[in-house]
Formats: sequence, structure tokens, C-alpha cells
Amino acid sequence: MITLENVTKAYPTHKGLNVVLDRVSFQFPARRNIGVLGRNGAGKSTLLRLISGAEQPDAGEVVRGGHVSWPIGFSGGFNGSLTGEENCRFVARIYGVDVDEVVGFSMEFSELGDYFQMPVRTYSSGMRARLAFGLSMAIDFDVYLVDEVTAVGDARFQQKCRAAFAERRDRSSVIIVSHSLGTIKSYCDSCAVLDNGRLFYFDSVGDAARVYQA
Amino acid sequence: MRGLLVQLQVVHALLLREVKTRFGAHKMGYLWALIEPILWVATFAAMYVLLGRLNPPGIDPVPFLITGILPFVLFRETAARTLTAIEANKGLLFYPQVRPLDLVLARAILELATHLVVITLLLGGVALWDGKLPHGQPLLLLAGLVLASGLGTSLGLVFCGLSTFSNTVERIFSPLLRPLFWTSAVFFPSSSLPTAARDLLLYNPVLHVVELVRSGYSAGYDARHVNAWYPAVWVIALLFFGLSLERVARRRVQLS
Repeated sequence: MITLENVTKAYPTHKGLNVVLDRVSFQFPARRNIGVLGRNGAGKSTLLRLISGAEQPDAGEVVRGGHVSWPIGFSGGFNGSLTGEENCRFVARIYGVDVDEVVGFSMEFSELGDYFQMPVRTYSSGMRARLAFGLSMAIDFDVYLVDEVTAVGDARFQQKCRAAFAERRDRSSVIIVSHSLGTIKSYCDSCAVLDNGRLFYFDSVGDAARVYQA
Repeated sequence: MRGLLVQLQVVHALLLREVKTRFGAHKMGYLWALIEPILWVATFAAMYVLLGRLNPPGIDPVPFLITGILPFVLFRETAARTLTAIEANKGLLFYPQVRPLDLVLARAILELATHLVVITLLLGGVALWDGKLPHGQPLLLLAGLVLASGLGTSLGLVFCGLSTFSNTVERIFSPLLRPLFWTSAVFFPSSSLPTAARDLLLYNPVLHVVELVRSGYSAGYDARHVNAWYPAVWVIALLFFGLSLERVARRRVQLS
């Protein structure tokens, strides 16, 4: 369970302050897959980093119950000069889990073949995302934070991701941020809309969609 | 609060990773760490032979150069590598348990460990060649190297913090360090200097560190003008400034 208490976060851009969250208090219901819709630049990625703890709020507090993942997506988190395997080893170590198990699982799940032993800088963005996904699935989190999965691999790989999440439904949940309604519909039970520093929650994705598209 | 254990885990993982990125995938990388200082020592030794003037009191010429060049290189490399530690590993701040300070710490530890191995090999080689061990205080030698590492780390931290405000900082870094090479007693004993010049150069903490390492290597070496407290105070002052800067700069290190 994740709770935002009066959280404010803004960052400077050349057009002035961009307020991503303006005194937001919100409790993400446990055991539900939740989507967060927002337009480009609304601060969806920043919200995920706040939830994960990679970034600190300017004011207020983020309370995390359980094991929360890092923001999984296709950017960042990997060192380009190291191979996929070496990157997996690193992440397994900082999470204090069995290195060989994580490497084995990630290799199989990501289906990168020989590329697993190649420097990550030679990967396409889709391959990076597959590695990130396989790696995150190798570690047991209570909450998976996912950033824009629409670009992950082909339809078959997306099906695989959905199946993996479905399989661990009773143990873990997902928070997905996206600007695409389709993604959220296929993964989530309920949905919030991030707009202008506010977070609006809807019990059904359909209700959120109506507001988002209005 | 995050546990010390998690931090140790993170620094350990970073260290293993830095070894790969620092020395590269090939075994030659390790060899380079050894060859580079040997080339330095050889160059200076050749110069002195040609000029026929190196005769440092209380210490043999080759160890004199080794104990001068290695602490200096340790200081400079540590500063240079900690300076870019955060910029180079920004992507890792994606993982919540990795903090900017861990990145700096991992690089500093790797430099210290590398140079400890190199200086041990070089001085050990000299001892084998001469067939005798020097009478010294190994702990003083070690303390000198740790101080050199501390000076490099704290200076790197300060520059690292400053570089988030302006990127000219990185550009002035190496011209700023260059004069230190000529004023840190790397290739002359501080006791041989005229009093006026020495009093001036004694403001340089790196000189103290170099001379400490030497007097640790050879008990007969005259290092009465230097002490360990002076560089230690520099380390503490720079650390204080650097860590305060990190607090301010933390917000500016955006994950893009």
C-alpha cells in the first residue's frame, strides 16, 4: 500500500516552475492494478519516481508499505558499456537477492539471445525494455511501478508481460503510468488522471477515460 | 532511515561494477594501472640520471620517486574520478537505494585499493631488487595514502557539487591541479628548499601527504616540517563544504 500525504513536487523549466503535484493526498488502494493517465509533460514519470523513492518530494511525505520496484521502463537504469547480464548482476546485488537466479530468469524472460552477453548500448529501445521487464519480474516486488509499457516489444511479448502480471496477481499489484488509454485498459482495474498538479481517482477505467478524453 | 546494510550492499555492487568499467573487459586494463606509474618513475629517474643530481637524504632515489609519484597520482585520480562519479552514473539513481554519495564512495574506494596494490608491488619490487627491507613505519605510510585519498575524495566532492551549477567547473579542474604537481614535493625533498619557499609550499596539503608517505617508508627521511593534522583538517573542511553542496545540489541532479 502506498500513501501520498500532502505531497508537493515542482521542477524548474525554462518556462518557469512546472508543478507536477500540488499538495496531493492520495492512498493507492492495495491489491488493485492502478493506471495513471496524463498528457505528455504532466509529470507521470516524476510521480513514479516519487512513489519509488528515487526522488524526494519538495514537501509532504510518501509512505510505502511493502517492497516497491524501481520505475520500470525503457529509459535509464542500465549502464551502456556493461552487458545485459552484468547489469542484471548489479541490480540483483543492490536488492540483496540471489544473483544467479535473477540472471537466469532475466535471460529467459527477456528473450534477448546472444544480445544478453552484449553491451546494453547495442540494444534497441525495445530490447532495453524487454531486459528491464525480465529483470524486474525476476525480483519479487509487492508493487511494480511501470512507465509507459506501450513500446515494449511486439504483441506477443506484451501478452507475455500481461500473463506474468496476471500470474502474480494475488501477491503483487501494478501501478502503470501512460498517456495511452489502451495500455491502461488492458492492465488495470481502476485509474487515476494526473492533470495540472492534481490527481483524480476513478474506480473504473471507463469513468477515468471519459474525464481524460473530455 | 535506510539501513547501513543496504548501503554496504549498494557500495559493494557499485565497486564490482566500477572494476569492470574502470579497467575494461580485458586483463590489460589492470596492467595499465601498473605500467603508467612505472613510466612516470622511469621518466623522472632517467631525467635525474642525466642531470646527475638526485641524491635525496635518508632515502634511496627510486623509492623516493615512487613514494612521491604514487600518493600524488592517487590524490589526482581520486579527485578526477569522484568529480565525474555522479554524472557518469546518473542512470543508477533510478534505483531508490542508490544515493549520489554511494557513487562517489565506490569510486574513491576503488582508486585507493588500486593504488595500494600498485605501490605495494612497486616498493616490493624495489625491496626484492635491493635484497633488503627499509626501516620505516608502514602504518604512517598507509596513513599518508589514506589522507591522499581523503583529499582527493573531498576535493572531488566539492567540484562535483559545484559542477551542477556550472559546467565550466569541470574545465578549470585540471589546469587548477597542474601547479600542485610541481609544488607537492613529488620530485624534490621539502627539506632541501630555501626557508622562504618552503614556508609558502607548506600551505599545500598534498605536500604534507607526500612527505608523510616518504617518512613512513624510510625512518631516516627528514620530514620534520610536515604533519598529519594539517591535511586532515583540509579533508574535514572540504568534506563539510562538499557534503553541504551535495544537499543543495541534490535537487539539481535530475534524472532527465
